[in-house]
Amino acid sequence: MTSICMYFEVHQPMRLNRFSVFNIGNNAGTSNYFNNKLNHEIFEKVAKKCYLPTNNLLLNLINEFDGKFRISFSLTGTFVEYCERFMPSVIDSFKKLFATGAVDMIEETYFHSLSGLYDDLDEFEEQIMMHRQMIKRLFNYEPKVFRNTEAIYDNRIAKKIGEMGYKGIITEGTEKILGWRSPNYLYRPINSDIKVLLRNYSLSDDIGFRFSSRHWPGFPLTADKYARWMSRCEGDLINLFIDYETFGEHQWTETGIFDFLGHLPNEALKHEQLDFVTVSEAVDRYQPVGEIDVPWAISWADADRDVSTWLGNDMQFACFNELKDIGKKLKKRGDEELLNVWRRLQTSDHLYYVSTKGLEDGDVHAYFSHYDGPYDGFINYMNVLQDLKQKIS
Amino acid sequence: MKVAMIGWEYPPFKAGGLGTHCYGLTRSLADENVKVDFYMPKTKHSAGNSGKKNLVIKEVGETEIFPYDRPEDKELAGQFFESVYRYNDLVVEKVKGNYDLIHCHDWLTMKAGVALKEKLGIPLILSVHSTEYDRSGWICPNDWFINIEREGMEKADRIIAVSHFTKSVIVDKYGINPDKISVVYNAVYPIGEGEKQEIVLFLGRLTIQKGAEFFLRAAKKVLEYEPDSRFVVAGTGDMLPRLINQAVDMGISSKVIFTGLLTEEEVRHIYRISNVYVMPSVSEPFGITALEAVSAGTPTIASKTAGFSEAFQNCLRVDFWDTDEMANKIISLLRYDPLHKTLATEGKRELDLFTWDRVAEKTIDVYNRVM
Repeated sequence: MTSICMYFEVHQPMRLNRFSVFNIGNNAGTSNYFNNKLNHEIFEKVAKKCYLPTNNLLLNLINEFDGKFRISFSLTGTFVEYCERFMPSVIDSFKKLFATGAVDMIEETYFHSLSGLYDDLDEFEEQIMMHRQMIKRLFNYEPKVFRNTEAIYDNRIAKKIGEMGYKGIITEGTEKILGWRSPNYLYRPINSDIKVLLRNYSLSDDIGFRFSSRHWPGFPLTADKYARWMSRCEGDLINLFIDYETFGEHQWTETGIFDFLGHLPNEALKHEQLDFVTVSEAVDRYQPVGEIDVPWAISWADADRDVSTWLGNDMQFACFNELKDIGKKLKKRGDEELLNVWRRLQTSDHLYYVSTKGLEDGDVHAYFSHYDGPYDGFINYMNVLQDLKQKIS
Repeated sequence: MKVAMIGWEYPPFKAGGLGTHCYGLTRSLADENVKVDFYMPKTKHSAGNSGKKNLVIKEVGETEIFPYDRPEDKELAGQFFESVYRYNDLVVEKVKGNYDLIHCHDWLTMKAGVALKEKLGIPLILSVHSTEYDRSGWICPNDWFINIEREGMEKADRIIAVSHFTKSVIVDKYGINPDKISVVYNAVYPIGEGEKQEIVLFLGRLTIQKGAEFFLRAAKKVLEYEPDSRFVVAGTGDMLPRLINQAVDMGISSKVIFTGLLTEEEVRHIYRISNVYVMPSVSEPFGITALEAVSAGTPTIASKTAGFSEAFQNCLRVDFWDTDEMANKIISLLRYDPLHKTLATEGKRELDLFTWDRVAEKTIDVYNRVM
């Protein structure tokens, strides 16, 4: 038996307002850091195109297949805050899904941050605890499996997550750590007993990136073709880890992405050797087949599968270091409000906008950014950080 | 392939991007085995021998006009138009030989280009480096120029525009079929880096088109926050007296240096030692100076309406009238070393895409489409 383990990442960052050097030190409070209007607009747009219709479709599928179709979600804290502020119906639809018993919730850092890369991991742990409380409050549930921001993973993070009592951790099934080995099994870190779930990036990206690409030999991708590919996979597990916005937002309705998803359970279950599991069931059912050793952080981002998307140029390092310094000072002061603002500024998207990778090709980075390029992103973010720094000195 | 190219200026003596372009283009065409006879007016500064087998510089006639001149009154205008016609007639007379096509640049040589196309019965390629709308800063453009430009564009077999911005002007304002227009971006011979000082540089003709007044307004704002910074306005033009007065009125004259006209070597030097380059043009078909600044390791803030900002990724962009944002970006570049360093490094890397060899290759593609 090979189990299909589908997990969807659901996240929205808190985008910043235009903040020039002339705004620094004006003592205007921190409420003008974030662009509420833009954030509200984007959230509503994505909710209508993706969250609500996809949740609805998944709920119908779970009911139709009597719980044999099983999935997992990771919801970030910033995403949930948007739901509660702008559209509580979105969170209600997630609660309905969870109530079917066929849906699992995954832990992550509340702020979708890079705190897993800080010098010490106390902030990382605090943000995980915040997320745990949130999931407990919403779903009365404690996740068993953790996935870090953008699947960022190294030995140190794995050890910490193991110590915090989680049974599983998610990362990218890249050759960098696997060599010749298959991502379709569980593995064990060299320094912990936790089980590692590895994303099958080839099959995941067929849906996430290539689905509507006419130059791709697999085009058009149909559910029966995709199910046939999966039926030929060897191994215990096929981990399909996908950005939730793939459905209806990155891949528009017109591409047929919803038809694909709607037919997928039926087509997959036609093959006797395939079934669906949640992430918790995956780590309960299967045993690791080998060890992985990851001294340097990997992730699921870009072609490099490392952290260079967020920490790839001098500007990004400058912001990251500034952020860490501010944190040290803030923790000594214990100002709850500023601490919360600082945490919102840790969301990895702020550094993502400053990436200069592939700039000349105008690739995916530009698509996701509301700035006129990484340099404007840097100036704006750095100006905000300078203002916050002045507030605490 | 043999091309009769008709230009107006050629380095070392030049007044603008047209001359720089002709120099880079003809030399790289010659290297690609295209034979070029470059016709230009005789001036007191001789362009001399090209040093390349395939490239011959032919100086014809004598004239005192420059492509960026704008006659101010009727009487002067009469003389001006008269000498333009004279020069064009002379070129038509002097161009002799077996050519495959004619290639001319901007309005000054368009009449000659059209006449030669008819006389020799060969295709005409027209490069547009700027239009009357750009040179007038979109304020009262002169019909006399516009009509010459329109006729040339209509008669040309293909047009090369230096940016999509310029292409859209040619389509919208002159009613030309977009399928006839190819966009070929400009290029640069890299200048190389120098010891940087806290200098914010403007360099260009001091005309309404180049927007130096916005540079001064941004300077005033920057100086309130960064009093140690210095500003250089390099170049000359009809706006010079007004700009000097503006600086005095704003009380920043001790922080702004007006250099007047600089030699080629002085231009390279000022690029090398400047920390920030600002190109606030009201209308800028391309803006080769921005590439020159980048090639000297100087991060560039360019007007959003410049062809350069559409073509080049590793730069900062502003609306020319938004002097607050211009100041925000200047200050950011002065304060944040990582920003400065990343723009300088990534900018230099991107320059590999802006070589004259590439311009020549794309120009040859255009030639091949009409032959």
